[in-house]
Amino acid sequence: MAAPLVFLVDDDASVRKSLARLVKTAGYEAELFASVRDFLARAPYDGPCCLVLDVRMPGLTGLDLQEALRVAGQHLAIVFITGHRDVPVSVKAMKAGAVDFLTKPVDAETLLGAIRQAVARTLTDRRRQARVTEIRGRIATLTPREAAVFALVVTGMLNKQIGAELGIAEKTVKVHRARVMEKMQAGSLAELVRLADEGSVIAAGS
Amino acid sequence: MSSSLLLWRRACLALLALLWAVPSPPPAWAAAHDLGRSGDWGVWPAVVGAALVVALALLGIRLVRERAARRRAELSLGERLRFETLLSEQVATFSRVSGADVDPAIQRALRRIADSLSVDWGNLTEYSDDNQTARVTHWWVAEGVGLQPSAIGFEEIPWVVTRLRRGELVRFSTTDELPAGEAAVDRQTYRRLGIKSQVAVPLTVEGEVVGALAFSTVGTERVWRDEFVQRLHLLGDVFANTLSRRRSEMEGQRLLQDLAHVGRVSTMGELTASLAHELNQPLTAILSNAQAAQRILDAGATDLAEIREILADIVEDDKRAGEVIQRLRGFLRKGQLEFSTLDVGELVRQVARLVGSDAIIRNVVVRLDLAIGLPPVRGDRVQLQQVVLNLLMNGLDAMRECDAGERTLVLRTFMAGPARVVVAVTDSGVGIKEADLEQVFHAFYTTKPDGLGMGLAIARSIVEAHGGQLDATRNPEGGTTFSFTLPTIKGPA
Repeated sequence: MAAPLVFLVDDDASVRKSLARLVKTAGYEAELFASVRDFLARAPYDGPCCLVLDVRMPGLTGLDLQEALRVAGQHLAIVFITGHRDVPVSVKAMKAGAVDFLTKPVDAETLLGAIRQAVARTLTDRRRQARVTEIRGRIATLTPREAAVFALVVTGMLNKQIGAELGIAEKTVKVHRARVMEKMQAGSLAELVRLADEGSVIAAGS
Repeated sequence: MSSSLLLWRRACLALLALLWAVPSPPPAWAAAHDLGRSGDWGVWPAVVGAALVVALALLGIRLVRERAARRRAELSLGERLRFETLLSEQVATFSRVSGADVDPAIQRALRRIADSLSVDWGNLTEYSDDNQTARVTHWWVAEGVGLQPSAIGFEEIPWVVTRLRRGELVRFSTTDELPAGEAAVDRQTYRRLGIKSQVAVPLTVEGEVVGALAFSTVGTERVWRDEFVQRLHLLGDVFANTLSRRRSEMEGQRLLQDLAHVGRVSTMGELTASLAHELNQPLTAILSNAQAAQRILDAGATDLAEIREILADIVEDDKRAGEVIQRLRGFLRKGQLEFSTLDVGELVRQVARLVGSDAIIRNVVVRLDLAIGLPPVRGDRVQLQQVVLNLLMNGLDAMRECDAGERTLVLRTFMAGPARVVVAVTDSGVGIKEADLEQVFHAFYTTKPDGLGMGLAIARSIVEAHGGQLDATRNPEGGTTFSFTLPTIKGPA
């Protein structure tokens, strides 16, 4: 497996260079960008990675990039580094999901710790994202009637109650329910509930 | 032949005639003495006559000698004419000089006057405002005289100084003329130093004595004629006016310097965020590089090439941080003006660097449009930087309300005419109402919630002190342009 890749975006060349050296000593690969625009021009990377981002730069700022990634639905965990402490900005960045907000000059241990965490975050975020995509893909194969049965099954209703609710025979509900279990690849009711939960969390969030 | 000599001759003749023609009885006082008792009446006229002749002769010799000496000491007509010309030249010169040119001009004048009068020592003394201290500010000593300007302490010539301070003239052609009692100390001092004669006029401005101008001879006596003293008063007035003008100029300058310093300090306050950022970048790089090197060594690396490279980078970044501090310190320097030859483009670039990170923070694009090969100007670097910085910061502030994409600040330098350089700062900000364009230069005028309203007033004073002009104009496309001119250094004529 390739070493995790750390994207470094900072307008100061010597800061970029020194941070790259540091992350390499911890076994990461580093890729350097002088501006947000440069980074956005790069093709998305699927492998393990994270972003170390300066807040204030000429042109687009670090916060602008964070927003752009969110809009694009790209999961890339961010460690912000900033020249000066700015509480409102750091609150905004953290609320928008940043892993950490560090003040320059930043200590190696702190930065590498944050990077480790960010790489892991990127991975889990993407895994969760992949899982949600998969679940939603399965949900998409359900017919409208099956989807309606699915929505009521996971609330804990009995087949008879569902039939009454939907105005169909209990026997018909049973058939639909079996199709739902099959399409959603759920071995038990408990598993089906969890899938519904995972899928809807994202649905509600996006 | 002089009239007193003629008079003396006539007196001699009349006396002799009287003695021989009229045999007189012994005077009453003689009767009471041995002379009277001898009864030899015929001897009296001869004794008295002889005594008188001897007295007259002695008197005559002295008179003749004195006259001869005086004639030698007096200026010839030609010399007087030369001196008149010299004086009118000085008057003309001093009506023009100011500031830093005053000292050398006074020095030159002293030398030329002393030279043309063949005196040995000329000096100009300034009294302090409270009249407590006096300081010899300019002097000229003839070669070989060996007098030091500090040779005379003012306590050594109390009588002379007191007179001058009262606004009275001091003139003596020999030290004997100084009053024996009250000027005893002065006499002693002058004799010790070999000073024979002196003329000193008080320098007065609006009735107040501000100093004194004095010329002295060493070794030879000198008669200071009234008409010369009159001319000297005239010259004294010229010096006095020049000195007082300079004194107020200097006070004004000091005030401007203090104000300028306050202005710089407050501008620096506004720039703190920017400077912190500028220092932070190299510090960040240094720390990361150093810690990277530690980790490399801890990992047991044997290849020192990378470590060497890292150390070189650390050195570079450290220098960079040092330069930021140096710039800051240079900018906040408080003190005398230092006029030097300056490249306006370089000056603008330095200030733009100072503001660079602030512009980034404010999301403003700063563009430099600097003409190449501009002639140099003469000025105080720090003060002119302050003017540029002030205009830049104002420009940044003016764009606070604009959309991020429209914030552009353009710095331009160019020539206007054959001998003027222009520095222009154009913002795309909110603009200033036509009616307020001149107002902004007034002290305490401000539109900023935390502004002092002194920045532009100070900036204009600085530019004017450099012989230039600072103005504001509205841009047709919105925003304001502040521009100032500076005279270029003229090439050798």
